[in-house]
Amino acid sequence: MTDWLLAAKLRMDALGADLAQAPREWNLWIDALATSLMSGTGVRAVTYCLILLLIGGSVEWLFWTYAYGPLRALQATLARSARQVLGLGLRRLLLLCSGVLLFTGASIAASAVLSWPEGVQEAAVAVCLWLMVVRLAWAFAEVLLAPGRSARRLVPVRADHVPWLMATVLLVAFFGGAARFLPELVEQVGHAPHSAGVLRLTLATLTALLLLVAAFGFMGRPPRSVLAQSRLPAFPRSFPAAALVLLGYTVWLLGSAALAGVTIIVALVLVLQMVLRDAVFFFWSGRWDKSASPAGAAPAAAGANQLLPQIVLSASRFGVVAIGLGACAIALDTPLAELATRQGPLVRFAFSLLGVAALALLINLVWIAIRSAIDQRLASIGPLDPHGEPNPDARLLTLLPLLRVSAAMVLVVMLVLSSLWAIGIEITPLLAGAGVLGLALGFGAQALVRDVIAGIFFLAEDAFRVGEYIESGTTTKGTVERITLRTVALRHHNGPLHFVPYGSLGTVRNNSRDWVIEKFNLPLPIDVDSETVRKLIKKVGEAMLQDEEVGHMLREPLKGKLSRIDPGVKIFRCKFETVPGKQFDVRAQAIKRLEAALKAAGIGFADGRQTVYLQRGGEPLLIEGARPA
Amino acid sequence: MPSKTLLRNLRLLSGLVLMAFVVGHLSNLVLGLHSVAAMGAARWLLLDPWRNPVGGGLLALCAVVHTVLGLYAISARRSWTMSRTDVVQLVLGLLTPPMLITHVVATSIASDFDRNFQFAYGRMLAVYWSYAPKYAFQQLFVVMIVWIHGALGLYSWLVLLPAWRRIGGVVLPVLFAVPILALLGFAESGREVLQRLESDPAWKSLIVDNLRPISALVAQTESAQNQVVLGYVALVVLVLMVMLVRMLHARSQPVRVDYDGGEFALGRRGLSVLEIGQAAQVAHAHVCAGRGRCGTCRVQVEQGAESLSPRNDLEEATLARVQAPPGARLGCQARVLGPGVLVTRLLPAHADASAAREPADWIADGASGQLEPAP
Repeated sequence: MTDWLLAAKLRMDALGADLAQAPREWNLWIDALATSLMSGTGVRAVTYCLILLLIGGSVEWLFWTYAYGPLRALQATLARSARQVLGLGLRRLLLLCSGVLLFTGASIAASAVLSWPEGVQEAAVAVCLWLMVVRLAWAFAEVLLAPGRSARRLVPVRADHVPWLMATVLLVAFFGGAARFLPELVEQVGHAPHSAGVLRLTLATLTALLLLVAAFGFMGRPPRSVLAQSRLPAFPRSFPAAALVLLGYTVWLLGSAALAGVTIIVALVLVLQMVLRDAVFFFWSGRWDKSASPAGAAPAAAGANQLLPQIVLSASRFGVVAIGLGACAIALDTPLAELATRQGPLVRFAFSLLGVAALALLINLVWIAIRSAIDQRLASIGPLDPHGEPNPDARLLTLLPLLRVSAAMVLVVMLVLSSLWAIGIEITPLLAGAGVLGLALGFGAQALVRDVIAGIFFLAEDAFRVGEYIESGTTTKGTVERITLRTVALRHHNGPLHFVPYGSLGTVRNNSRDWVIEKFNLPLPIDVDSETVRKLIKKVGEAMLQDEEVGHMLREPLKGKLSRIDPGVKIFRCKFETVPGKQFDVRAQAIKRLEAALKAAGIGFADGRQTVYLQRGGEPLLIEGARPA
Repeated sequence: MPSKTLLRNLRLLSGLVLMAFVVGHLSNLVLGLHSVAAMGAARWLLLDPWRNPVGGGLLALCAVVHTVLGLYAISARRSWTMSRTDVVQLVLGLLTPPMLITHVVATSIASDFDRNFQFAYGRMLAVYWSYAPKYAFQQLFVVMIVWIHGALGLYSWLVLLPAWRRIGGVVLPVLFAVPILALLGFAESGREVLQRLESDPAWKSLIVDNLRPISALVAQTESAQNQVVLGYVALVVLVLMVMLVRMLHARSQPVRVDYDGGEFALGRRGLSVLEIGQAAQVAHAHVCAGRGRCGTCRVQVEQGAESLSPRNDLEEATLARVQAPPGARLGCQARVLGPGVLVTRLLPAHADASAAREPADWIADGASGQLEPAP
């Protein structure tokens, strides 16, 4: 503790010394600079700087002669969905950043070939980089905030904040870039360490003041419509924001730049984590798809839209933390590679824990993805109506929860094993033990396993659904009432309920699929005209198609044709095709209608009347009305 | 009201003459990459044509004409909406005269004082590099400003010409290379001159002897220079005031422009359709930034054609060149004088200079300003 206080005191003393020494040093430096500028050296330096500017500018101009058309096309494109907005924004960012990077790259590369006066090249390169930082910040802010173009905005920011945010970002980039490049330059090229210190102090103070102004200036202003919306006033965000800024500044002032960097990064990561949910769900807020889906489809679409944002949110949280850790490591100037290979047990353990955390996050991500997908599918199927038509989704109601549990188990086992391995605990014996145990269990539960596996395949192949009438190879038959993991429950038409394990289901004959063809015979007297009857049957068939009651069940209308002639009987074979299970109703209807139609046409059914000729002494004797034997 | 086409051609012509002079000047500097002697040797071709009364008079006339027309164009502006290129052109154009005046005065005094002294390139360079770096800086910045202004103007004119496809590949690199090489030549010759100053005391004393009276003369003219600059600043302020008054004058008369696709923009009476649209950030192609050259801002007037200003000669010529349909207008030239109009943009907003060079390629598509997003 006292060490820290001492360090803070030393730092304050150093700052005081900087402030005291800087003016004199600064004057000397400026004099030297002016002297060397007002000479051939100065002219050469300025000439070279202008050359760099021209070269960078030329390269960028050349780039824009090609890229300006695409940029305008991107700007003029009206995006219709969130994904398009993001895609267009990223492409614009790519174009803008390419221009900036080309300028910087060309200028810095060109500076290598010129023979500079001492120290000027460093200054030129520093200024180039500084310019690059500011312009990149500008490009990012422009793409993210899209001033004046609310349809293109990629972050949820109030429209009246955008210009202020834009200005804040630019100024912070300006000061930040200056703080990164200028004091170093003053120190190394100008040999003026005190001036560099004062410069740092000035820039840090300016940045802190700017952020404070931003925090109280526009972040603190409540939205104008607070009363109109009758909402509770939001938590005053400006105070924590200001506190964070002040904390960062104080840490910088009393501690060190690295410590302040870490503080700022941690604060930024926390703030980002807080706003990340809004930022991610902003893309699925339906802001862009107002006209896309009709009102009826909206709830389903909203449900389907929950999966992706969840995954993106988790991934972004993970990414923000990872980037924050990386940034902290850079701010602390930690030699990461060296640290990882060092043999300190504590360090290695910390790294292992870091790895486990990353692994847990990753597996959490996968779990969220799987669970959301399955839940969504289940929700979209909804509860099953046992009295409705056989539903192809019914098997999913069985399979999906099973899949969810299996996935959870696999993921947990993977996580545990990988974590143990990452921490350094040997997992081979565990695996071997689990293998032996699994083998024993497998032998014991052979039948059970067979049933479950066979069941999975039956379900996967969609062999039967709830409500279908099936016959199994073991002559069990009935309507499927329930499907579980191990058995299928079949209701026999006489009432008994069979529970058949999948393993003994064998061949399955499904009577309820696609269509059924039903045939029946129509015996008519031998003397009827076949063609008339055929037409009559056809007419009945057409009439049935029009019928409200049975018409929708028919797939092919009733047709009939003469199929056999027996003594005294013409047998007409009738045939129709219906949806499964409806053939009996339709057949009854058909026979009823045929009977009426035949009666109307004056045709009776074959009555089995036969003519028998008996001969007695050459006189034939005709007996009418004898019944066939 | 003078003819717009005439004004435009005058401005272009005077600009081209000035640009030719600057190219000659800078090409001479490029020779410094070889030697100071080479610079002197090429002088008769690159610089002397402007030294005689005819060339000098033409140059002065063109400078005055170009400046006056530029100031006139600024005063004739109706709104602040301009492209970034326009802003750069405006600022650089306004900066050029005051930056250039010292150079002109100093060189003419020096040449009057001793013709031999002035034309010996090496001595002038020695003054710049050793005795008066202030002038060197001024020169360097003037070169940058003038060249960027000229190159932007030349490029935005040439890129619309059908010939650009053939000459573009040559002109663009030249536009980039000339100032870079000239500055490099300046640096190289400076090094040579500085070395000679070290090694050749007689030459050095000659320069010092001549320099003293010249600088005294230049100092005498300083107040006159300041007055000229002051007068120029006053003129610029006047021009800006005129622009401001014109803008404020029409403020209270709002008009409305409706676009195909349901967009609309509100603006002041007297602004062009393009200016009103730009202020409201309506996507509307305008490759030449409202100069009436490119024809990419052409629109079909669906309703309220009588609210628009009549066509001027510039608009007629451009519309004929781009094979526009009969009822079309140029968005940048048609000013809204009545309550409102409904227009259909004839080219998509991303139309580039090729739409001006090869108008036939762009006629089939682009009936609407809204395009499908690229796949």
